Amino acid sequence: MIYNWKRIVKNCIPLLTITICIEIFAGQILQGNQQKLFLIPIFLISIPVVNGVGGNIGSILGARLASGLHMGYIELSIKDKNMHENFFTSILLGFISYLILAIIIYYIAYFGDIRLSVGLMEFAFVVVCTGILLIIMVSLISVFTAFWSFKKGLDPDDMVAPVVTTVGDTLGIILLFFLIGVVGA
Amino acid sequence: MFAKEMLKQSLPLIIICGIGGVVTGNTLGAMIDILKEIPGLIVVIPAVIALRGNISTALGSRLGSAYHLGIIDAENLWNIELKQNIIGSLVLSFLMSLIIGVLAYITSLALNVHPDPLKLLSIVILAGVLSGLILTFLTIIIIYFVFKRGYDPDNITGPALATFGDVFSMLCIFGSAVLIGGIN
Repeated sequence: MIYNWKRIVKNCIPLLTITICIEIFAGQILQGNQQKLFLIPIFLISIPVVNGVGGNIGSILGARLASGLHMGYIELSIKDKNMHENFFTSILLGFISYLILAIIIYYIAYFGDIRLSVGLMEFAFVVVCTGILLIIMVSLISVFTAFWSFKKGLDPDDMVAPVVTTVGDTLGIILLFFLIGVVGA
Repeated sequence: MFAKEMLKQSLPLIIICGIGGVVTGNTLGAMIDILKEIPGLIVVIPAVIALRGNISTALGSRLGSAYHLGIIDAENLWNIELKQNIIGSLVLSFLMSLIIGVLAYITSLALNVHPDPLKLLSIVILAGVLSGLILTFLTIIIIYFVFKRGYDPDNITGPALATFGDVFSMLCIFGSAVLIGGIN
């Protein structure tokens, strides 16, 4: 027997506890701003999309960097060209994804009889700007985590996804409220 | 040259996962009345969703490694290794849900919000364990078909389980909140 449930539980508890603490922090930010969200429900609906896409792109970037580092075509240098290319493609990928999804969310809300109180342009602006800022931050964290764990002899494949999705959730919520404030909705 | 291929292969997957996010978001939108009624409930949502994703993708990832190590395959699926993995995931779901409930209650008190501790804990634990059972069942089905077709589980289980995890954990929070919120 290779796997033992007690060992699985023991190995997973520390990292899961840390991620939970950060997610509870994100949850408290939501609770503190819930009046705003209930007033403009379309932003409440957007939260899982904003966070999900950010986490996905960060994880894909991390997995690609990990493979590159393992295979040796990406070097541990902030000047590495392949790393730059992956970084900027992630931002482009984020821009296209957020734009498409913002339009989908808006029209689902429009036809689903959800109170809008913002226009499509305004809404798409908030989601795409939140998304791009989030992707830039998440990608920086992804590069840092991948390089740092590789340097320490840890497998970046194990580290990047949980770190990036957890930090991404919190940053996503903070940035969304910031951008809602900028537009003044 | 690598980057162009990244854009082409990842964009469809991200949009599909994003649509999973839209379903999750609309469930959240439909919960506004319950969220107003049960203080503290909104606090646990990011944690329960993230927990589900982390436990399920780790399970999928371990089963992927088990497949590569040759200790599990489509013909020899329901064996002791799989059972240990399932028990581990379910115990983690229960324990971590309990911690989420306690932390959400304490931090809410500190911020001068007063949730009903029993109600909040029951909702989180029910949602955590229920979504754990559903996701474990889904993982076994996905992994069976992936093995059967000879795909590399590492390419499939991560995004698939993360997306299903989001949708089902949100639905389970909704269901548990309606069920337990209704009991006074």
